[in-house]
Amino acid sequence: MELLGLTFALFGAALSTLLAGIGSAMGIGIAGESAAGVMTEDPDKFGSCLVLQALPGTQGIYGLLITFVVLSKLGVLGGGAAVAVNWNQGLQIFASCMPIATVGWISAIYQGKASAAAIQMISRKPEAMGKAIVLPAMVETYAVLALLTSILMLMGVSLG
Amino acid sequence: MSYVYAVARLRAMENLFLDASFFSRLIDSATLEEALKSLGETAYARWAPGVSEGAFDRIIDSELVATFDDLKGFVPDGELVDLCRMSYDFNNVKVVLKSLLKVREGGERRYDLLSGLGARNTDGLIMAIEGEEYGLLPYGLGDVIPHCWTVWEQTKNPQQVEIILDACLFTTMRATAVELQKKLKTSLLVRWVEHKIDAENLRNAVRLQHMNYDSATALPFFHRGGTLRPDDVAKLMAEPPEAWGRALSYTGIGAALDAVQDRSDVQAALSEISKALDSYLIAVLEKVKYSASAPENVVLYLLRKEEEARDLRIALVCVANGLNREFARRLLGHGR
Repeated sequence: MELLGLTFALFGAALSTLLAGIGSAMGIGIAGESAAGVMTEDPDKFGSCLVLQALPGTQGIYGLLITFVVLSKLGVLGGGAAVAVNWNQGLQIFASCMPIATVGWISAIYQGKASAAAIQMISRKPEAMGKAIVLPAMVETYAVLALLTSILMLMGVSLG
Repeated sequence: MSYVYAVARLRAMENLFLDASFFSRLIDSATLEEALKSLGETAYARWAPGVSEGAFDRIIDSELVATFDDLKGFVPDGELVDLCRMSYDFNNVKVVLKSLLKVREGGERRYDLLSGLGARNTDGLIMAIEGEEYGLLPYGLGDVIPHCWTVWEQTKNPQQVEIILDACLFTTMRATAVELQKKLKTSLLVRWVEHKIDAENLRNAVRLQHMNYDSATALPFFHRGGTLRPDDVAKLMAEPPEAWGRALSYTGIGAALDAVQDRSDVQAALSEISKALDSYLIAVLEKVKYSASAPENVVLYLLRKEEEARDLRIALVCVANGLNREFARRLLGHGR
């Protein structure tokens, strides 16, 4: 029972990277398919396509960031001994990880779809690159809000 | 391959569509040589070498065949491309049957009229029909061709044979669209086929009205499966074409027909109504043009490509024969 808290906390940290990473991979994959389609006909669009394809990758980074914060808070980074975490504190850390894990996962997929559409847009209107970036970036807002929520919640969890 | 990839590639390919200013320049060409020189600056240029000046149809057909083949290579469901090529296959079957009927009456085969645009190999169709190996025919034609022969023996009327084949075409197209729609979870394919049947019925109605058919005698020429019942299309025969738009105002086609201006003679009316109906069929599918992954975009692209090919034919025939440029300009779909 004494390790239950640590297990909950580590599980939350793992899900942050796992779900947000899966979402980013799927989003980048969707945008990549669209980019490949456009570049088959017009290889000169590689630069623009790459920028738009990379946009859904940020959620995975946000998830990794939260994982680092949690591991740092638990004291397991650097090979040191983990601080004592009761099951209640462990559950609080787990809950803190959930915003970025779930919102990161789903928003990355939708951002990938928006990026795919934006890539199709620049294939017809290359001059609209700025607008094409703004549209999928709007989805990013909610991933950023989830990241902030996770950070604020983690800051509120006191250990020891 | 996914539809996200396919639709993105189609969007990039759309940049190569010939635009209204190109068609305007083409029609204004003084000679066919000058017009073909303009065509040589487009994607059609790759088919020009080795083709004589008068054979521009071959250039256009080659581009269409290459487009069909390209799309079949990267679209996840090749049946979507075949759906658009099906009418060419049926046209080829009609050519083979009519040739054989002519041969029976001492005439000559007209296999030069076969189109390479179908999904099925023309040699295979000829061998299956001439060799009476009807089981080898696609689209359920194995059962239909013997029926065509029987009807021919009884009536000696090629139009009756055409009606049977057209009915088979539309039934097959609708069945294929229903299957694809279920598989791809889309919503517009069946609707497009239904409107295509309506459009064909209305084209037939224009022709038949000018041949002085009445509602009763024209009824067998109209096919089931569209959004308009054959009876309702037949009733239009009693009205002048100017009133058809109003009579069909409860459908989208009504508005499309209202836009038709020139009804001065049979050919003008038929051409303008045909153009309006073709544009309407494209408009039915245009609802998906903002979707990054809708499979209907494949059909939409092919319809636009066919429209471009048709416009090219109109423009080049006009230039080659010195026809009225303004009339040809009005027939072009690219002014939209």
